[in-house]
Amino acid sequence: MNSVEVLYNSVMLAIKGVSIEVPYGGMVALLGSNGAGKSTTLKAISGLLSAERGKVSRGEIRFDGRVIGDNPPQQRVGLGICHVIEGRRVFEHLTPDENLEAAAPMSLSRTRVASEKARIYDYFPRLAERKSSLAGYLSGGEQQMLAIGRALMTQPRLLMLDEPSLGLAPFLVAEIFEIIKRINRDHGLSVLLVEQNALAALDIVSRGYLIENGRVVMHDTAERLKANSDIQEFYLGGSQAKSFHDIKHYRRRKRWLS
Amino acid sequence: MDIAYVSELAVNGALTGLLYSLFALGLVLIYKSSSVPNLAQGALTMLAAYVVLALSRQLGFPLWLGIAVTTIIMFLAGFGVEKVTLRRMAGRPIVMILMMTLGLDIFIRGSTLAVWGGTSRSMELGVSYDPLFLGPLLLSRINLAGACVAIALFVAFLLFFRTRRGIRLRAISDDYVASWSIGISVEHGVALSWGMASVVAVASAVIWGEIQGVDQSLSQLLLKGLTVAVLGGLDSIVGAILAGIVLGVIENVGASYLDLVVGGGSRDLIVAAVLIFTVMLRPHGLFGRHDIERV
Repeated sequence: MNSVEVLYNSVMLAIKGVSIEVPYGGMVALLGSNGAGKSTTLKAISGLLSAERGKVSRGEIRFDGRVIGDNPPQQRVGLGICHVIEGRRVFEHLTPDENLEAAAPMSLSRTRVASEKARIYDYFPRLAERKSSLAGYLSGGEQQMLAIGRALMTQPRLLMLDEPSLGLAPFLVAEIFEIIKRINRDHGLSVLLVEQNALAALDIVSRGYLIENGRVVMHDTAERLKANSDIQEFYLGGSQAKSFHDIKHYRRRKRWLS
Repeated sequence: MDIAYVSELAVNGALTGLLYSLFALGLVLIYKSSSVPNLAQGALTMLAAYVVLALSRQLGFPLWLGIAVTTIIMFLAGFGVEKVTLRRMAGRPIVMILMMTLGLDIFIRGSTLAVWGGTSRSMELGVSYDPLFLGPLLLSRINLAGACVAIALFVAFLLFFRTRRGIRLRAISDDYVASWSIGISVEHGVALSWGMASVVAVASAVIWGEIQGVDQSLSQLLLKGLTVAVLGGLDSIVGAILAGIVLGVIENVGASYLDLVVGGGSRDLIVAAVLIFTVMLRPHGLFGRHDIERV
């Protein structure tokens, strides 16, 4: 069994002893509200905490049975962990083609790079259409696809996605999640998905963790999480009547204040 | 206004301008990967000139070998300077990094003064000082030779930035956190760009050393180089080439007329004016990249 285990305690206690496990070839979601510590968890695994002067102060991070807490980010990418950071962050002044090329490990031969690029364009035909315009001018959805494609070029075995649905139209979210699922199926790639959009995330993953205030407060299979009443109320939007009531209440308050 | 006279001034100005571009290329290379204007580039250039002279005069190397060995030494020096002093500054405010390059500049200038003294030495490349006649135009041979070297280096670097390693350097300049996230060694890339900038410094040291002699004033090329780099947009090689030519022509033609009015010394004035107006009117320079904002 190939598994990742994270146990730690870090930066201004942004997360306090979070333990999660992603099984080999599995898809796991990390849910929670703003500032719960989801992104921090991913950065601890990818090593990008150091770019923000954070560090893992307690606990250990294992990948493939190997402790990786001290490796710099580029070595972790070499081991097969790739983190698609929040907000897409494509190289705006490079073309999509160059974005992909930049991410290919230097050890890959020219022909391998070309075949890998072809594979990515196969997953994301929209990128192939626009491969020579500047990435900064792509639409939000295309940029997210490019960010994922770029990550796939690093030949990962664990792909970590930080809010891929952020700011995208629902049909695009569905399209991107469908592709992620396909890649997971085709290549046995493990996926760790961070989402605020719990509804979309729980549809494609098999297990989910719920983080609140830097702690894991719930851990279960996707079906049971979806059925859980707390999750339904706070993360899946709650019942229709209740939200309607909230809006009325808000209006009334606004009248008082103005 | 005499057309032949002005065109001669313009052509020679353009040749000199290409040599400014050559100097500015070093600034652009570092700015491209780390977004820092390297204020020590002038001092690095001067250091390279002294190293060439030390190898060829004091150790008796033939000049070409001296230049080749200096290139290697300077590449390692640039690489090392980045590793020792700037690596630990990663993520700090840009002004701290700028101060660090200023500190390096003063340090290098101070140590060359201590080791080699303040007297001017000549490079003695063996290029004749006789002017070259091109139709009605009088050209300076060394400027022409330097301009050819500059163009060759520009082409080499433009091609380099299309290779995979070059694309990675451009990626670093775009977004270094994203570069880390896909396994690019940002530290290594920045050190490489410092190494390359130091190699460019050798080329410009040899040519400028021949033109104006090797002494402390060589480090003051920074003013003109910085003006060219800013006018060209700081991160654009093509911009640096064109800006160099533009500045060279403006400086040469402008100074020859302005000098009649103010009685000499107007060259630096023109350069300073170009720098100030560029920053005021066109902070991105002629070819600098704008941050892309989607609407």
